This record gives sequence, C-alpha cells and structure tokens, in this order.
Amino acid sequence: MWQLTWILSFLPNWFWILLLIGSIASVILSRFFLVYKLPMKIGGAIGLILSVWMLGAASNEAKWEARVKELEEKLLVAEQASKQINTEIVEKVVTNTKVVQGKAKTIIEYIDRWNTKEVIVEGPERIKREEVIKYIEMCPVPAAIIDAHNAAATLNKAAEEPKK
Amino acid sequence: MKYIILSLAVFLSACSTTVPVKQKFPDAPKELFEKCPNLNIIEPGKTAITDLLKTVVSNYALYYECSIKQEGWTDWYGEQKKNFDKANEK
Repeated sequence: MWQLTWILSFLPNWFWILLLIGSIASVILSRFFLVYKLPMKIGGAIGLILSVWMLGAASNEAKWEARVKELEEKLLVAEQASKQINTEIVEKVVTNTKVVQGKAKTIIEYIDRWNTKEVIVEGPERIKREEVIKYIEMCPVPAAIIDAHNAAATLNKAAEEPKK
Repeated sequence: MKYIILSLAVFLSACSTTVPVKQKFPDAPKELFEKCPNLNIIEPGKTAITDLLKTVVSNYALYYECSIKQEGWTDWYGEQKKNFDKANEK
C-alpha cells in the first residue's frame, strides 16, 4: 500500500489543500444543484477524505523527516565525540606506558651498576655499592628459589585449557 | 468485508514509517587490543640476585603496562557509553 502513498506524495501540498477546499465547497454547494446533488456529495466526500488523509500523511512524513534529520545530526556529533574519546584514550595509554617503561629501564640500569666493580662514585654511595656487590658475589640464589619464581611467572599456563 | 479490509489497508498505510538512521558501534583503538605479554622468567644458569631482581622489575613493568591497557578499556567503555546515552536521549 505504501506504493500508493509514495506515488501520491509526488503531488504538491497545495494540491491537497485545494482539493480539501474544493471538496468542502462541493458538499456545501451540492444542496443548490438538484441535478448534480448526489455526484457532488459523493465526490466531495471522497475528496474530503482523501485530502485530509494525504495532508495527515504529509504532516506525519514531515514530522518523521525532521526527527530523522535531528537524529542524524546527533549521531554525527556522537561519532565525532567518539573519535575524540579514542584519541584521548590512546594518548593516555601510550604516555602512561612510556612512563612505566622508562622508570623500569632506569631501575634496571641502576641494578646493572651493581654488576660492575668499577665503582666511580665516592662517599657513602661507594660503601653501599661495594656491600651490595660483595653480597651478590657471595650469595648465589638457590635454584629452588628461581624455579619457584619461574613457576609463579608462568601461572597463566595452568589456566589455559589443554588443546584437543 | 473486502471494502473494510481495503479501507483499513489504505488508512494504515499512512502509519507505515521506516527510520533509515542507524548508529554505528564505535571502534575501539587498536592499542587496546594488544594482548598482555607473558611474564619473564629467569634464564636457567643465572643465579645472581641481580638477575632475579631485574626479572622481577621487568615483570612489575609488564603488569603496570597491562593495567594501563585495562584501565584504557574501562575508560573507553565508560566514555563511549556516556556518549551513546547522550546521543540517544530524547
């Protein structure tokens, strides 16, 4: 049935207003024409119903089109906001990751200094480093502790389901 | 009866309206899809406490990197939901 509405919707709005006025006039004037009384009444009634219906449909269509346009504008704004959110989140993730990696690198470099005997610092820091180096040389970590560490570091493998 | 059906069809056709607007689900940034790496283990044969400490430090770093990504997902969902709700409110 929508095809009928679609075809009729090509007619301009003024046509339906004109038909409405004409139909009302036809119904009113029908009483003055004895010969054409019935055809004028029937034609007027049909025209009245059709024009009111089409004007209603056009008004409904216009209302929906306005809503669609409004929604499209809202979605466009939301899409742009969504892209902005993504950019901000990526920037935050990348920056924070770089900070963490940088700090970890600094700590590892600091630990690496204990692996060399060429201590170039003086004062209490030198004493501290020498103590640490001495401790490292004298106390190797037992294999059991390393195994326990490695077992803990690979805990996720236990959670993985065996492949069938 | 057939006139009633026909007239109903004609009148109801005015109510048929399709809304050709679809909201696209937003794409998450590819940085958030990176999997958290496995933790480092101490290589066999290394017994110095510094090796143990370095591995622990790098594992802490891996945890925090992963935590940043997880936080990123939480922020992404929260912000996108707010944005979605704002677009859909009447």
